[in-house]
Amino acid sequence: MQLSDPNVNLAIILPEIIIAITGVVVMLYDCFFPKNRGITGTMSLIGIAAAAISIALIWPGGSVPASAWGGMIVHDSLRLSFSVVFLLVAALTILVSTVWVEREDVPGGEYHALLLFATFGMLLMSSGNDLVVIFLGLETLSIATYVMAGLRKSDLKSNESAMKYFILGSLASAFLLYGMALVYGATGTMNITEIAAKAADPNFPALLLVGAAMLVVGFGFKVAAAPFHVWTPDVYEGAPSPITGFMAAGPKAAAFASFLRIFVIGFPVVGGLEAAGYLNYSWTTALAVMAIATMTVGNVAAIMQNNVKRMLAYSSIAHAGYALVGFVGAGVAASQSNRDAAIAAVAFYMLSYAVANIGSFAIITLLGQKNDRRTEFEDFNGIGFKSPVLSFTLSLFMLSLLGLPLTAGFIGKVLVFRPALEANNPLLTVMVVAAVINTAISAYYYLRMIVVMFFKERATDWVEPRIPSALAAVILVTVIGTFYFGIFGNRVIERFSRQPIAEAVSQR
Amino acid sequence: MDFVSENLLTLLILLPVFGAVGLIAHQMFWKQEEHLKWVTLAITVVIFLLSLLLLGEGGTKAGGFSFVKNVPWIEAINTNYHVGVDGLSLWLVILTTFIMPIAIISTWHAVEKRPLAFYAFLLLLQSAMIGVFVSLDLLVFYLFFEASLVPMFFLIGIWGGANRIYAAVKFFIFTAVGSLLMLVAIIALYFMHQQATGVGTFDFVTLLGSIESGTLAFSASTGLLLFIAFALAFSIKVPLFPFHTWLPDAHTEAPTAGSVILAAVLLKMGTYGLMRFNFPLFPDAARELAPIFIILAIIGIIYGALVAMVQPDVKRLVAYSSVAHMGFVILGMFSFTEWGMQGALYQMLNHGISTGALFLLVGFIYERRHTREISEFGGIANVMPLYATFFVITAMSSVGLPFLNGFVGEFMIMIGMWKSSILAVTATVNWNYIATMAAGTGVIFAAVYLLWMIQRVFFGKVTNEKNRGLTDLTPREIGLMIPLLFLMVFMGVYPRPFLDRSRDAVVAIQERVVKQAGGTVEVVETFEKE
Repeated sequence: MQLSDPNVNLAIILPEIIIAITGVVVMLYDCFFPKNRGITGTMSLIGIAAAAISIALIWPGGSVPASAWGGMIVHDSLRLSFSVVFLLVAALTILVSTVWVEREDVPGGEYHALLLFATFGMLLMSSGNDLVVIFLGLETLSIATYVMAGLRKSDLKSNESAMKYFILGSLASAFLLYGMALVYGATGTMNITEIAAKAADPNFPALLLVGAAMLVVGFGFKVAAAPFHVWTPDVYEGAPSPITGFMAAGPKAAAFASFLRIFVIGFPVVGGLEAAGYLNYSWTTALAVMAIATMTVGNVAAIMQNNVKRMLAYSSIAHAGYALVGFVGAGVAASQSNRDAAIAAVAFYMLSYAVANIGSFAIITLLGQKNDRRTEFEDFNGIGFKSPVLSFTLSLFMLSLLGLPLTAGFIGKVLVFRPALEANNPLLTVMVVAAVINTAISAYYYLRMIVVMFFKERATDWVEPRIPSALAAVILVTVIGTFYFGIFGNRVIERFSRQPIAEAVSQR
Repeated sequence: MDFVSENLLTLLILLPVFGAVGLIAHQMFWKQEEHLKWVTLAITVVIFLLSLLLLGEGGTKAGGFSFVKNVPWIEAINTNYHVGVDGLSLWLVILTTFIMPIAIISTWHAVEKRPLAFYAFLLLLQSAMIGVFVSLDLLVFYLFFEASLVPMFFLIGIWGGANRIYAAVKFFIFTAVGSLLMLVAIIALYFMHQQATGVGTFDFVTLLGSIESGTLAFSASTGLLLFIAFALAFSIKVPLFPFHTWLPDAHTEAPTAGSVILAAVLLKMGTYGLMRFNFPLFPDAARELAPIFIILAIIGIIYGALVAMVQPDVKRLVAYSSVAHMGFVILGMFSFTEWGMQGALYQMLNHGISTGALFLLVGFIYERRHTREISEFGGIANVMPLYATFFVITAMSSVGLPFLNGFVGEFMIMIGMWKSSILAVTATVNWNYIATMAAGTGVIFAAVYLLWMIQRVFFGKVTNEKNRGLTDLTPREIGLMIPLLFLMVFMGVYPRPFLDRSRDAVVAIQERVVKQAGGTVEVVETFEKE
């Protein structure tokens, strides 16, 4: 093997660098001046803002190559659009958790540092074009999230949540790693672009199929797709509310970013070659079936929940299913532009979901009180007109999650359904119809939230909590986001698909 | 003025939204709850007057749309904010703007709980309803169609009767299920257009043009599936038997203003959608499935009437009568004759006015007695003579007494069905005649259930002591009923101005459906007022 120029380029990983440095600084600062939550929080926010600015600077039009670091890091719309989602999620989570960090007296510095490391991992997962880089990102993310889930040390549920998340997450990582090893064994490379070239070979080894199957299992765990979803409700219910919101929006989107990159780019549609086409055909079929199962399981189970956090956990499973619909659409897309549009659609879907989801968890954090005690549906009875701002906002988020027009969720759904219908394939059409029927099922439990808040009477006293300014900012951003993406989604999608996804660009 | 006429439809859609925002702002700064109804009333009256400007040009262009506005919305999926009005939508828009002030006045003393939210939701509902009738982009249409659900959901859920939560959720889910399948069909149409022409579109006019010119063609089975997906959404909304079960619950539990709007406007979205989208886009499927719809419509007419007959609750009785009346509308539409389709459109307006008025009248007595059980009443005519008069006139309009509006619509629909050739004609029997006769029995049943109810409620001696002290209608209530009663009579004796406006649009749809039947273009007979 000959040595090649690693084409070092710091600009391309500027956002990652900024976030990592901020994380280290926050951690060190916390060692010397502990319990300065305000300052560590502000520092984290500044770091995230700087990373966001750096992304804006290297956005298409800037002088950044399409790939660098020996092809390990790529700069395309898949990376850019998902990075926007991660940074938004991280910033909002920090704002939401100000309430919770104070109320529960959680060590603020550690928490902020962990969140930044998790964000670093997510960014790496979307920019990595190499199985090892992706795995590194994933592990950085996972380890940070395991700890965050268990931050409320004195609470049994939080401990249970962290433990379950850790054990099952490690199992998933093991599957993933094994899958990566097999893919490497079959293709002799870790670079996704090169894997795609190898997979186009009509005589690819069957080992590749086994590796791909392992990867499906591993990522299936990470995105909580049925039948690998069973850990989700317990973990989401037990983890502190702001972290739950983060886990459902951030790490899930990150897993989708890598999942998309490895499968859609790495195992592409190969025209005319039956043996190679088999790989693409197998995984799209498997994922289509998983998408149907995920949506159905998530929605049906969500109906039966009495706890709002558990309901949202199952709803997040269902939303992974809807995103998978767009994912499969990207997998079978006939042309590169269609494929890029489908990937942008999934990114937009995760963005719209993140906005509504973090907004909901912000309100639930506020209303849940210490230790998230008040998170049963009954606890929300009749608060509608006692706290109109919070209740109408929460209703808006529910309607966006349901996918009602004029909200972000609607545009997101239309966008992910589109590529799947475009394929003109019976199984995919069935999948879209299943998604639509599931949307109707989901109306029941999203509406239930509105029903309890507005239509039921409250028997006990209830005092409207004061809305802290940080939370007010979150609510403002998420409400504006929900409407903006729902009405002017056009502009976002246009930006999300500006840089063609590098498939043939191999720098070696 | 140029600005107004150029953006008239947009103004009609946006004004209620601005009105709702204004209401909230007003409440934040002045905190005068008793102002709210006046402000809302003023807004709706202004909207009504503005909507009358539509009469200037609306419905006069043969086969074309007036007041068109077409600007890009989401370019990534090529969807445009495309609105316009023609003879089909013109009267429905005006019906919407006309019924709103009446609905607002009807709530003058009835809404004690959260008036701000109540009026804000009413205004948002109005915006969505107007949007439904004027959208010419399928995605935008879907958007308004769904958006109209939310305010109504809140109206039923917060201000409804005892069983309101069940009714509200049922209303929402029934409608959402149907409309989501329509969404799939809409996206499928987009791709078929893309495959056929290279450009995907949601634009109704473009799609229709491509289908008419044959550029966009699909197999018979695809056409059937698409037709069913659209028709299911609309049939649930109409509601056509057997999808009607949400209606009695929603009507009974909704507050009076909600019932009035539900009956007058929301149900029309279904029949309007069938006529606007299903017929022109999928004429072959429409003809193929017409017998099924006709049978369901007839079942609806008879079943609705029979069930209405045994209802102990006046409001529920009126709700079931809606099922029967809307069955008539469907029957007329699927006769595919000019008489039938014009009659169907006319009957939509009639039903809006008559049934809306009936719900108002039921609301009046409910506000006095807080019950709607027929058995609680008896001899009301003795204590409330004016109320009884109004009620009987309205009921007669609903039954279809000549010189009142209901007669014109039902008569035209039955002539249309009689003349139709959509059902099989064999040597021994013409099934079109049979269908007409079966539907005709519905008119008799309607007379039975309404007259029987009137007899039990209004005539005889006052049996219940509680009814002795009832006061007759107040000036506000009289003022509310006068425009409705006037329209019942006016539309009954002089339907011409209404029908003239809608003829071009309706005939265009009718010809479109009939023309594809293997070239046998039926002679489109012009008709004078009967």
